[in-house]
Amino acid sequence: MSSDLTIVLLSLRVASVAMLLALPIGFALAWLLVRKQIRGRFLVEAVVSLPLALPPVVIGYGLLILLGSKGPFEGVAFTAFAASLASAIVALPLIVRTFVVALDGVDPRLELAARSLGAGSWRVLMTVTIPLAYRGLLAGALIGFVRALSEFGATIVVAGNIPGRTQTVPLGIFTRIQAGDDSAALRLVAVSIGLAIATLIVHDLLLRRGGLSGRRQRAGFGA
Amino acid sequence: MNPGVPGPELAGVLRFAFTRTQGNFSLKAAGDFGSGITALFGPSGSGKTTLLNCLAGLFRPDDGEIVLNGRDLYREGSRTFIPPDKRRIGLVFQDGALFPHMNVADNVMYGWRRTPERDRRVNVDHVVELLGLQPLMKRSPDSLSGGERQRVAIARALAMSPGLLLLDEPMASLDGRLRGVVLSYLRRIREDLGIPMVYVSHSISEVLALADDALVLSNGSVVASGRPSHVLLDPALGGMFQDDPIENLLDGTVSEPGGAGMPGRVRVGAADVVTPPTGRPADTPVIMALGAEEIILATQQPSGLSARNVIAGSITELEPVGDRLYATVDIGVRVLVALTQGAVDALNLEGGQDAYLVFKTSSIKLLDAAPAGPI
Repeated sequence: MSSDLTIVLLSLRVASVAMLLALPIGFALAWLLVRKQIRGRFLVEAVVSLPLALPPVVIGYGLLILLGSKGPFEGVAFTAFAASLASAIVALPLIVRTFVVALDGVDPRLELAARSLGAGSWRVLMTVTIPLAYRGLLAGALIGFVRALSEFGATIVVAGNIPGRTQTVPLGIFTRIQAGDDSAALRLVAVSIGLAIATLIVHDLLLRRGGLSGRRQRAGFGA
Repeated sequence: MNPGVPGPELAGVLRFAFTRTQGNFSLKAAGDFGSGITALFGPSGSGKTTLLNCLAGLFRPDDGEIVLNGRDLYREGSRTFIPPDKRRIGLVFQDGALFPHMNVADNVMYGWRRTPERDRRVNVDHVVELLGLQPLMKRSPDSLSGGERQRVAIARALAMSPGLLLLDEPMASLDGRLRGVVLSYLRRIREDLGIPMVYVSHSISEVLALADDALVLSNGSVVASGRPSHVLLDPALGGMFQDDPIENLLDGTVSEPGGAGMPGRVRVGAADVVTPPTGRPADTPVIMALGAEEIILATQQPSGLSARNVIAGSITELEPVGDRLYATVDIGVRVLVALTQGAVDALNLEGGQDAYLVFKTSSIKLLDAAPAGPI
């Protein structure tokens, strides 16, 4: 059996890598949904939200088909990266939804004003959009991180439950319960609860400071 | 600073002719403007906003051209379309649209920092001084009044040395007192910096007081363009404006403060006007608002009147608008007087004739002007 520390550190690593994958993609999707009149918007929203509605085990199985020995990305399954990938996909809908709210709160006229003042799209993003939406963005990142930390169903299918390699906190708890080692299981449960409460408190603080206050929406001069 | 007299005018600074169709609305606009202030006028839905967005590069026209200072911003066929961040066109939105996460100084410097050194023609310190922003530089936009916010927005746009300034009803969200202040700042910018401006307004009085040119849009087409006093008083357009009571907004300086039962006096052009107590010390710049309907026109110097003001001048123009007539009378500044056709016939009025303006002290409203600056 892995030590508590190994499991917790691996969990944090898996969830962090999951965020490295999910946050940029989540931001890009949210930005598209909020700022661009894209065709097939409904389809994008549906696909992004699908992991919320599906049993995680289905996501895991889908990934296993893609990453397993017969899949196009053979050899990725049963690695820590596969665990990160599974966590990222499950966390993505929550991230996108929170980011959409955060970006929607930024008055598009401020972005237009910045462009007219000589800032290119990238600079507008870095100096206006992100600074104005950062509380909501941070809240989205935290929610995503918590979701990634608690991921079980998809992970166990595509990454297995390999001590020291893919055994994260939820999987460790599962193994210890099955082994009948209640006190060891409860130690990890305590860690889980501690991490969750800490993140939720920070999340709540961020939102309460009014980062998501609604602003009047107008594109360009006039309507 | 004569409101009716055109500023430095040079046609060909801003030239455009294009169409833009959006859903079932189509704008067909053409214009050729100088370095002064051009007023964009028209009922809502007439295409003013679309025109501004096309000039700023936020919308792309379907065909035609937009040329600013000899540079193609858009040209059909040659695939020229300069994006908004490369146009050097300053935008001033109705409520300022200041960056709420930056203080006033950072707002003002935002565009300046992104302006290549060789293009920095406007001295930021000068703009800050011109708009009286020095005491506000460390403040957050949330803590500013409407007029202060509007001045910061104008400074922010000016600091990047724009080739053109677009203002979308910059005074619509201001109360009457502050309108005078912003108005006099805009006049100063015109005189001091020579940056051409396109200015959307719903107020004839504002346009007459500020603009060198006017463009009137209706249903997506240009229905009139030219000098404001001609365009806005064009009989063909009479119906469009009649419900706007026209006010003369005249630059003046307090010569006697008045108060404690004594009237004040304000110097306007060559005239010394008796006003209500000014509530301001002598030598304070003010804007004197006087409705065109409040003035009586006399061909001979009247006497024995209760009205305190009888001011000599000469009629320069007579323009019919619907069933009304507007006389422009030069008293050192140009003052618009509303008349009926009957009155004009009875008095046998014609241009070039000497005339007296008669109005009561109580018809005068004094608005704050921008404090006299070291320009």
